[in-house]
This record gives sequence, structure tokens and C-alpha cells, in this order.
Amino acid sequence: MAEEKHIGSILLADCGTVTTKVVLLEQVAGQYRFVARGEALTTAEPPWSNVAAGVRHAVEQISEATGQRFFDAGGDLISPASAGRQGVDAFAATASASQPLQVVLGGLVHDLSVASAERAVAGTYALIKATLAGDGREGTLSEEERVRTIRNAAPDVICIAGGIEGGAATPVLELVESAALACSMMDTSVRTRVLYMGNSQLRQQVVRIMEGQGELRVADNVRPTSTEENLLSAQMELDAIYVQDKMGRLPGIGTVNGWSSVPLMPTARAFGRLVQYLWHLGEPSRGVLGVDVGAASTTVAAVFGGQLCLTIRGDLGVAFGGEQLLQKRGAETITRWLPEPMSSDEVQEIFINTEIRPSSIPQEMRELRLEQALARAAIRTALEIAHPGWKPGVAQPYPHLLPLCDTIVVSGGALVHAPYPGQVALIVLDALEPIGISTLVLDVYDLAPALGNVAAVAPLAAVEALDNGALVNLATVVTPVGLARPGDTVLQMQVTYDDGGTLSAEVHYGDLEVLPLPAGQQAVLELRPLRHFDVGLGGPGKAGKRRVSGGLAGLIIDARGRPLPLSDKPEQRQAQVRQWLQAVGG
Amino acid sequence: MIHPAETQVTPSTTVRRERMLPAPGDVLVRVGERVEPTQVVARADMPGDFRILHVAHALGVPISRVKRCLRVNLGDEVQRGQVLAKRGRLSASAVKSPIDGSVTAIGGGRILIEAPYTPFELRASIYGTVSHVLERHGVVIETTGAVVQGAWGAGGESLGVLRCMVKSPDEPLQAKAIDPSCHGTILVGGSGVSDAALKRAQELQVRGIVVGGLLPELISQVEPLPFPVVVTECIGGVPMSAPIFRLLTAYDGQEASISGRTQLRWGIVRPEIVIPLPADTSPPAQAQPGAPLTVGARVRLVRAPYLGVAGTVVALPAHAHPIETGARVHGAQVDIGQGAPVFVPLVNLEVLR
Repeated sequence: MAEEKHIGSILLADCGTVTTKVVLLEQVAGQYRFVARGEALTTAEPPWSNVAAGVRHAVEQISEATGQRFFDAGGDLISPASAGRQGVDAFAATASASQPLQVVLGGLVHDLSVASAERAVAGTYALIKATLAGDGREGTLSEEERVRTIRNAAPDVICIAGGIEGGAATPVLELVESAALACSMMDTSVRTRVLYMGNSQLRQQVVRIMEGQGELRVADNVRPTSTEENLLSAQMELDAIYVQDKMGRLPGIGTVNGWSSVPLMPTARAFGRLVQYLWHLGEPSRGVLGVDVGAASTTVAAVFGGQLCLTIRGDLGVAFGGEQLLQKRGAETITRWLPEPMSSDEVQEIFINTEIRPSSIPQEMRELRLEQALARAAIRTALEIAHPGWKPGVAQPYPHLLPLCDTIVVSGGALVHAPYPGQVALIVLDALEPIGISTLVLDVYDLAPALGNVAAVAPLAAVEALDNGALVNLATVVTPVGLARPGDTVLQMQVTYDDGGTLSAEVHYGDLEVLPLPAGQQAVLELRPLRHFDVGLGGPGKAGKRRVSGGLAGLIIDARGRPLPLSDKPEQRQAQVRQWLQAVGG
Repeated sequence: MIHPAETQVTPSTTVRRERMLPAPGDVLVRVGERVEPTQVVARADMPGDFRILHVAHALGVPISRVKRCLRVNLGDEVQRGQVLAKRGRLSASAVKSPIDGSVTAIGGGRILIEAPYTPFELRASIYGTVSHVLERHGVVIETTGAVVQGAWGAGGESLGVLRCMVKSPDEPLQAKAIDPSCHGTILVGGSGVSDAALKRAQELQVRGIVVGGLLPELISQVEPLPFPVVVTECIGGVPMSAPIFRLLTAYDGQEASISGRTQLRWGIVRPEIVIPLPADTSPPAQAQPGAPLTVGARVRLVRAPYLGVAGTVVALPAHAHPIETGARVHGAQVDIGQGAPVFVPLVNLEVLR
């Protein structure tokens, strides 16, 4: 029997669009622990044009902190670790630095097959360049217009959905014919792929139409019935195309891959894995959510019933995409979260300048507030795509609100590096609007995606790193849901601390309050909702006790209402936002 | 060790520029060949227009009968107005080609006409020598010159004589300063450019504009201009940083290539001005691109409140310091020539190389 390889140390790297992060995990006293972290600019662009350089730069910082040497004179990783504190036993990497897949989407009905196809595409780093829908919401396109749209978009993939199983045939085949014609007009060296994810009974006809015109891939129907959605197969195909066509072409990625014993994984997919793992640790009737706001993309990972739904906005992060969001949806989408007025010209100016220097950080409060407002808008826009695709079951007592989630993982540079924990908590509360009782956990070392990938190298490492503080409690949040007038008492509560101390409070509708419960401490909450309010303890008016953990931002009682009522009047709204920021210490 | 972002602002360096076709084509020059900015170095055929004609529908015949109605075959070249299909000899209903082109597909009762390919010519854009040929895709041209990389730009590429229009980097480019002698030149302003100045520059057919900042409301006016615009610092009303202004004024009256092409991610392309130097000029030895930040480095600060200000790193504190937002960050002490050095987060520095 072969001896299992001992892995005493692991370097985990994540090559983001703007920054490359590397963490070192080592077995200390028999358990994997976080030892050191390095961060450097991603070096996919000149003057380096080699992502491996960014990994080396980040590892240099770990070397400076630990005194260990990880690379030999030729720049190759020393692995396995050797005597004299040299090298590392294992290495694994995730990446999101590549350009997203460019996609043209075809489907029949906007709210059905097109919406499902959009969610399938959102499961990987992708940008939808154009949508061809058969229900004429944007006016029915002629075949010539469809072909022109595809040709102008020059996508990497044309995704065609449509037709429930045994349903419509002709309009779906017309879309395929347009795609085939557009492919036939492209140079053979740059021909677009077609991914068919529609009515499976038409597959043979689709194959015949596409024959000799371009590469065809087939996935399960994303909308097999009008009420059912099945995204997994299409997402796997798109992920495979992304890894092969985009990640595989990052300059220097071959070197990074060569250091690793496991295949490179897209960052968001790895983040989703971690969120899925956390679901298995909690109450199965509820969900676990993860939000990762990066420089160039925003990911929402939701797990209900053990099933992961991954939604990536590959075009929107806190460094890139703000200006485009501003143009598409207007300044108020973002400025509504600001505590002071800001003109759309100023917003545009700051957003463009941030795109020019994406690695820079706000130095002035005004710019920080804008970045955090954009983070809220980014999460909310990702949620718009994600939420309709979830199947939360009993975790969803109110269809128009977020399902009940035990844990919400908060990751990504803009959130993790926010100056005050209360600011991060408020961003998450404003953007997600959770209900009931949730624990917000912060990915303090910005290594959640790396931990999601580490299971492939050393399954115990992720578990032990989590146990040893890789994720830190940010806050426990209690959000009563119901209808009342501002100022009405909606909840009576008592906090019993482990040292025997107690704290009683009455919560009024409209309030946002923070009660003391520091990280590392626990307490028992006794909640007695009034006026038929629901705090997630079994339904409206249900009272109960719950043991909760403290966090960096304490115990937050969010009785502001759901959906969150933001005033239409700018001055009143800004006063609201100022008050909320003050409440959380942000 | 920190490896910050870099911007080239140098009076003399070896410039290598990749010139790539938008689609595979033919490279027309060889390694070692000297080229001029307007010289075509590669050429590609770009797909032309096309039309899909629904013959069956237009003639009112079933798809199975379309073949009998056709007056052209696959591969035929056709002229605009030429009859492609007709319903019987005596019928007046016919389908004519709306464009010159060729018949590239027939099927399903339809005809696809594709217009001839349109040639795309790739010019060298700078004086130099071809150092590499990238088979079917483009070339690398090498030269010695002064280089200023911009922050944001618009428009394509152009060539002209640099003309400094202001006396200081905080002076905006005004319409009244632009007279007929500016025709064919690249205008260098200071802190920005007015709406009227943009219009005046267009009237007088200048070859380009270089300014420190550009107000966001002028972006939509700048983008369609027939000449490139390069913004050296950022969007907004800020002065041109002193090292860039000094370098551009030093080359006042000299011929320069200007490119406004900008791509901020996924294959970053930065706008730039390249001033060619005599072929026998040897650039001085310079720090390796991508080298770590050191005390003494010439830097530019890229976030408010110091946006666009240049200075010199005087210390690299080992520990993190608080900044106005409350964040504690690693940074550098930078002498910006205004009394005591200022503390700036490392990520808000750009090395001027």
C-alpha cells in the first residue's frame, strides 16, 4: 500500500483581476493554521505579462514575514518542503484575472428560457453581449438582424435555450439557424462555439443545422418545464469553456499551474464550494449565503438544500463597472446609499479614475462612501439575477424577501479591507436585506476562495483553517419582519451573557441598533416579537431563545423594515443613511 | 518588497510597440526593415456587409420551388440590382441583390449575399525598425524616443508637431489660443481643455490634444473627435503633473506620434505620446520595468487629495499608518515639494519610469 503523502504546509494563491493574494497554511500542533499572507498587484499585463510574477511578489511578503524561502534561484517553487525552512509541500491556485467569456444569448421567452439561460451564464465569469429573444420584448428581430447582432458581438459562445421539453420547435431552430449562419461567415480560426441548452428533443436537428458551421456543445435543457430550471449541465459546459479558453490563456498561468498538484479553479467556483461546505455545518432547513465583492466582479453564492447556486457579475466590482452601471441605471442607483449629496458628474469622475487605477484605495471619506455605495449596488444587481433561480423551500417564508439564512459569508477586498467592521455589516444588511437571525462571517484574510480550493489538496486543511480563525464573526443580526408604524415596539428581547449579565431591550420599528457582544463571546437571546412580527423562530409572533455568537460589529438589531424603506427625498434619505452609519459605528 | 504600478515618462528609452491586425492577414515588412509612421506594415481583409434575402417569401412560392426560380448559383459574384430569383419568365416579381457581392449560401428558401471584404491597413504609427514579425498577425517596432504614457484617451493614432499652448501645467487650453498656425499640430495644454477649445481645434484640424485632466461632461464630446486626445493624469480638472509637462515642453516643436487608444483591462492599452529621437541615440540605463519600489523613486500620487501630484519617495515605513478614512495601510512618505513629506498608501503610488 502506498504511503499517503504528508502535507505539512500549503501555499494557496488567488490571482484576481487587480491583486494576487497568497496565504500560507501550516500544520502547527497537528492542525492546519493560517501562518502568513501576502498581496501584490496581479501581473497579467505589461511590464510583467506573467501572472506567476505576481504570485512570486506576494510570496516574497510571506518570506519576509516568516523567514522561509519558497522559490529557488531559477524562480521555481521548491516543493515538497525541505529541511532548513525551504519550500512548501503543496500549492493550489484559483484565478479570476482572465477576461470573462463573451456570450450572445438566444431564447424564446424573456421570463422563462432567456432568464434561465442568463442564470446559467451567470454561473461562470461571463458577459452577455447581446440577447436574442423570440418574444419580441425588444421588437422581433429578423434573421438578418440576429446574424448581424451575433457578428457584431463576436462572442466566444452563443448560448441557445428555448422550448420546454416537447414544446416549441420552429422558433428554437430558427435561432440555431441564425447562429449557424453567423458562424459560417466567420474566419475558421476565430469561429464562435454554440452551446445548445434548449428542448432536448431537437438535438438531432440542431446537430444537423450546425454540421460544418462551427463547434457545437450540448447541455441539458435549462428550462425543461415552465416551472422547472436545470442549470447544472449548462454551467459545467460554460465553466469548462471558460477554463480552457480564458483562464488557460492568462500569460504565465502555465507556470502557476505547474506548481500545483490540482487543476486551477475559477475563484468564484472555489468560493461557492466553501459556502457549500458551510451549509453542511448548519441547520439544513435554512440557507447559507456568500457575497464576494472584488475589483472587477461580484459573486453571490447561495446554498439551499445542499445545492449551490452561483451567480457572478463578471462586469461589476468596486474598481470596474461602476461607470457602466451609472450609465445604464442612473446615478441614484448608487448615490441613494450616500450620506451626503454627490453629483453624477463627480460620481462618473471618481469611477473612471478608479478604473484607470484599479489597485488604488480611497484616501478620503467621500470616496470611501462612494466605493461602499457601489458595493451595495453591485451586490443588489447580482442578487436580482440570482434570487429568482434559488429553490429555498421552507427557508423562504416571504417570496419577495431574502430566504432565511443562518450564515452569510462576506468576502472580497472592498468589504474585507473596510476601515470599520460596522461599515461592512451595514453594506451587507443594506444590500442583501436578510431576515430572521443570521450570522455574518468575515473572510478577514481574503482567503475564502482559496479555502474552497484547498479541499482538493488536503481535505482537512479547509476544516481546520476555518476552525482556527480563517473566518471571523462579523456580527449576529436579528431582523424582525412585519408591518408597523415607525416607533411602534415590535420586539422585546433579553440578552443573557455567559458571565451571567443580562441586557433587556425594546426594539422599535425603524430602529437600527447595535448591542454589545464582542467577537469570541456568546450569549442567549430571548426574543419576544410583538404585533405579529416574525424573527425567524417558526413564524409570525413566535418567540424563542437562541444561542448566538458575538462579532467584530456586535449584535445588530435591524428593525428598519423589509423591504428596506429608503426615502424618495434625497435630503431625508441622506439623513437616514447618516443615522444608520452612526448606529453601526461606521 | 512592493512592486507598484508604473507609468512611462521618460526623455529617452527604447520603445517597443506591438502593432496587431484586428484579424489574421498578411505582414508586409521584414525584420530589420526601417519603417515610417504612415507606412502600411500589415494588411487584412475584413468581412464586409451582408444581406439575407427570403426568396420564397418574396416570390410567394414554397421553399421547394425556390431552386427553380434562382438565376444565380452558389459562389456567383453579383451586382447591386441584379436579379437573383424570378418567378417564371413572364412574372414581374423578382428578387434583386441590394448590394454588390457574392452568393455565399443558398438554402431554406433564402440567399445569403456577402459584400466583398474590405481591406484593413495597419500602419507603423511610429518611426522605427521592425524587431519581430508575428506571422499573419502583426509586427513589433522598436525605436529610441521619449515616451509619455497617458491615463485616459480617446480617438485613434496620429502624427504631428508638438506645440505647447500654455506656460504652466495648471493653465487650461483655451479656444482663443488656438489659431490657424495650430493646423496639423498636437496641442499641449495644462490642466484641461474647454468645450470651445475642442471645437476650435476641430475646425483647425489639429492632429491631437494632450492635457492633464478632462472634465467628465466633456468625455462625450471628445470621443467622436477626428483626432486623438490624451489625458495624462485623470478625469477631472487637475493640472498636468510637473515631470510630464517639463518633458513635453522640452520637445516643443518636434514631431511626435500620439495615440488615444485606451483599454483599461484585459489587454491594457494606454494612450501615449512617442517623440522619436535620432537613430544613433543610446538610451541611458534604466531601472528594470517592474522593479521594487525604493527610496528615491520618482512617483505620482493617484488618489485625492493628491491626485496627479508628483514627488519623490523619501521613506518606506515598515508599519501601517492610519489615513483619513480610518483604514490602516502600508505606505510611503513622499516629498511633493510642499513642506513636510506626505504619507500615501503604497497602492496609491505610481512609479514614473
